[in-house]
Amino acid sequence: MAVEIQKEKYRSKVGEVVLGATREQGGTRSHTITVGGESALPYLHFEGEIPNRPVVALEVWDMVPEEWNDCFKQYYGDVFNDPAAWAKKCVDEYGADLILVRLKSADPDLKGSSPENCAATVQKVLGAVGVPLVVIGCGNNEKDNLLYPVVAEAATGENLLLGVAEQQNYKAITSACMAYKHNVIAQSPIDINICKQLNILIAEMSTAMANRIVIDPTIAALGYGIEYSYSIMERARNGALQGDKMLAMPMICNVGQEVWKTKEANLPVAEEPGWGEQEERGVMWEAMTATAYLQAGMNVLILRHPRALALVKQNIADLMKSNSY
Amino acid sequence: MGLTGLEIYKHLPKTNCKECGSPTCLAFAMALAGGKASLDACPHVSDEAKAALDSASAPPIKLVKVGAGDWVVELGDETELFRHDKRFFHPAGIAVLISDTEDVAAKADAFEKLEFTRVGQRYAVNMAAVKCASGDAAKFKAAVETVAGKTKKALILIAEDPVVMEAGLAAAADRKPLVYAATAGNYEKMVELAKSKGCPLAVKGKDLEETAALVEKVTALGYKELVLDSGARETSKVLADLTQIRRLAVRKRFRPFGYPAIAFTDKDDPREEVVQAGVYLSKYAGIIVLKAFEQQQLLPLLSWRQNLYTDPQKPIQVEAKLYQIGDAGPEAPVYCTTNFSLTYFIVQGEVENTRIPSHILSVDTGGISVLTAYADNKFSAETISAAMKKAGLDEKIKHRKIVIPGHVAVLKGKLEEASGWEVMVGPREASGINKFAKEKFA
Amino acid sequence: MIIIGERINGMFKDVAKAIRERDAGVIHEWARRQEKNGARYLDLNVGPSSAEPVEAMKWLVEVTQEASNLPLCLDSTKYDAIEAGLKLCKRPAMINSVPAEAAKMERVFAMAAEHNAEVICLAMNEEGIPKDAENRVALAMELVATADAFGVAPDMLFIDPLVLPCNVAQDHGKEVMETMRQIKLLSDPPPKTVVGLSNVSQGTKNRELINRIFAVMAMACGLDAAIADACDDELMAAVATARILLNMDIYCDSYIDVFKQG
Repeated sequence: MAVEIQKEKYRSKVGEVVLGATREQGGTRSHTITVGGESALPYLHFEGEIPNRPVVALEVWDMVPEEWNDCFKQYYGDVFNDPAAWAKKCVDEYGADLILVRLKSADPDLKGSSPENCAATVQKVLGAVGVPLVVIGCGNNEKDNLLYPVVAEAATGENLLLGVAEQQNYKAITSACMAYKHNVIAQSPIDINICKQLNILIAEMSTAMANRIVIDPTIAALGYGIEYSYSIMERARNGALQGDKMLAMPMICNVGQEVWKTKEANLPVAEEPGWGEQEERGVMWEAMTATAYLQAGMNVLILRHPRALALVKQNIADLMKSNSY
Repeated sequence: MGLTGLEIYKHLPKTNCKECGSPTCLAFAMALAGGKASLDACPHVSDEAKAALDSASAPPIKLVKVGAGDWVVELGDETELFRHDKRFFHPAGIAVLISDTEDVAAKADAFEKLEFTRVGQRYAVNMAAVKCASGDAAKFKAAVETVAGKTKKALILIAEDPVVMEAGLAAAADRKPLVYAATAGNYEKMVELAKSKGCPLAVKGKDLEETAALVEKVTALGYKELVLDSGARETSKVLADLTQIRRLAVRKRFRPFGYPAIAFTDKDDPREEVVQAGVYLSKYAGIIVLKAFEQQQLLPLLSWRQNLYTDPQKPIQVEAKLYQIGDAGPEAPVYCTTNFSLTYFIVQGEVENTRIPSHILSVDTGGISVLTAYADNKFSAETISAAMKKAGLDEKIKHRKIVIPGHVAVLKGKLEEASGWEVMVGPREASGINKFAKEKFA
Repeated sequence: MIIIGERINGMFKDVAKAIRERDAGVIHEWARRQEKNGARYLDLNVGPSSAEPVEAMKWLVEVTQEASNLPLCLDSTKYDAIEAGLKLCKRPAMINSVPAEAAKMERVFAMAAEHNAEVICLAMNEEGIPKDAENRVALAMELVATADAFGVAPDMLFIDPLVLPCNVAQDHGKEVMETMRQIKLLSDPPPKTVVGLSNVSQGTKNRELINRIFAVMAMACGLDAAIADACDDELMAAVATARILLNMDIYCDSYIDVFKQG
């Protein structure tokens, strides 16, 4: 019996979003990054195009991340005080494809940095690295809504990926992105219906923005409900390929943030001798979480540990090799 | 999906004799396809047609067992391509490699330590693959003996020379190991060995085409306890082959691929191996063999296996009890939420983030979330106060304050009455816990 | 279920007049309106009284394609008109229709294979429309097998079990729905199913209500497509809702708009 290779015929494909802009395009990035565009399930090159490999970002804060596990000090300890140097190290030494800047210090419960200060930080990071940037607020909606227009304006032309828009709070950020031509992260709380609705709400504000959305479906770490977010992502990606345009956006997720909250990543070996060495356990917890999400169709992964980044990039390189029959 | 009318019709005699009770063979075929008739009703169907229809109506992927006793690994019998369509049924076997040229006894001891307890569940690397790297039958036999003596878990014996395999089997045939592997060059002898010892047999081709052809030769010899190896070793190629095997078996009922598949990692770095294994685990591998041996490397892989194979229809619950976050003493704050695992873990993560040692009381709601449980009366003043008593809060906690989720603020009055505690209304979403805690408890 | 917009049909006076006078504006307007409201194919029928069906079909195909990129469904009993139209279609089209009659199947399936066209197949033959599901399915099987012999795969076929007006043939409704279920057991991949929706309500009062209810009941039996009035908002809302309830689309609050935008 001859083997008849099974190739799915899909009606549609995932939209492409370009991040960053070079000088010719009005920005200052050394190159742009295109995400999305696939017309097949993850890495099934034999049945469609996967024109852009997934990319990996490292996370940079605008203040010292006191709560991060001590194991990060040996990698970032010398630059924790300087977001520009921190970002540069992530790119030059650790090979990050892009940088996520979290404007944590704006949080009124923390330093309450002004929008202008935050914009200055973003500009410094833009000056230090050539890769495209992802910029997200502090998580306090009121404050973030003041932040977005100022940061967006200061980075005019740079084609940032700015986040995050949520169902209850999407107008200010979308307006800022529309006015200064940036892309937006649309975040939904592990809920495919809200995910789709939020994309519609943003597209209703501006049809041009519909092609500038990157979905953050919100994820759980390995061991903490990963299977829920994994299945939601698989459903969204299947929907996109079958023609659901309101789910056909590239996806982003913050693996590092979720993983490094877990006990498995942080617990010293003395407290769980049967679990093996702590730092590598955390690295592997992060890499395994990322590996699973890559298989569900993730396009942009935000990581925290440089060793996890190296493992994930190797995995991506392996997955991007042709497997056509 | 079962057989279609057209497929069945092709095998029927097409005489329209009506003896089956249906007016036409076509009608009978449609009745069979719809599961409303049995093929036995047709007196004229040929034995060949019967065999073809029988095998086509068997499950798409055969259930294959490796091992004996408490550690039998059941593989296959999968019906889905995506877990959200129903579920994945039989968790992949995860095997680590022990070569007969290493210190086999030490490795076997280390293998027994690859067992973990996490969130109240036991995970284990549940297979050991003993490989003949020496080419020496006696040495292989000794290695198999040693491993079999130290572990009760399922074994895979790896040797392509039937003479070597026979020696290995002599040491452990009663453990029903997976015989790896029948190839184009040795399959007749391997089938004979596996068949005589009643052990499952891996069939290894150079590619999908050769693997399918080889499976047909093996089944023609009357053996069907099989595991497939398409021969691919590069990550993306293995992913493609595993996907094809699953699709062809489930969607097309392609019989040569109706067995679980085995995958091997090919990376040298154990961490890269584990990542590679994570890909194969996500996409349909029945067994994954890797060299990595460290606990911190394997625990994440086993956790992903546990998560991937849960039933998406069934809410996952955590044990309903009082959890201690950090070094929480009798003065520490107390939060309460449901025992739906996703809800609990999110609350737990946020409470940990506050860096304030605290307690979380997880109330048994049958594993459903706060609002659903509230609507269903499973997260009520009565159930919460009962859970508080059961967990012994009155004895364990000195203060008399409990935080409830903001979504069920209406419970405040009744719960205060029922429990005698002061009820603090927390934030509506877990993401607000940090701010809440800083204001109230810092 | 997808909607094949029925409005560009010479049975309607404005369309008949537009065809006679070669008035492209009317056709453009109907093409756009139907597409905007959620039609996925546009049915083109020059009407029963056309004096020059071949030329009229050619004109309709060209003019419709000026206003819409939707695939076309060429609807005629005159196969020369369909063939002439197929040659002008910019993207694979659908042929409407062929019954289970040898000579006609031969002509149509050969044409379909050549033009990579989908085909609406009628569950009837020289003897007319069977009453029960079993005989309708038998005709469907004949259509599937013949198409296969011409190299037209089962999933290129839309079997129309032929629904009759509920005021004259009330007993057919159940049989039609049972036929739809059984057709899915015919082959793998199975053929698709289609109905001319407005037939069910011919000559009744409450036509829209009957159409709408039948559409959702038939969807639950696996109906894939209907030739229908895409400008009937209530119908489109009902179809969009049934798609959600059947888990064919992913829910969101604006699901009706999403369905219309395709």
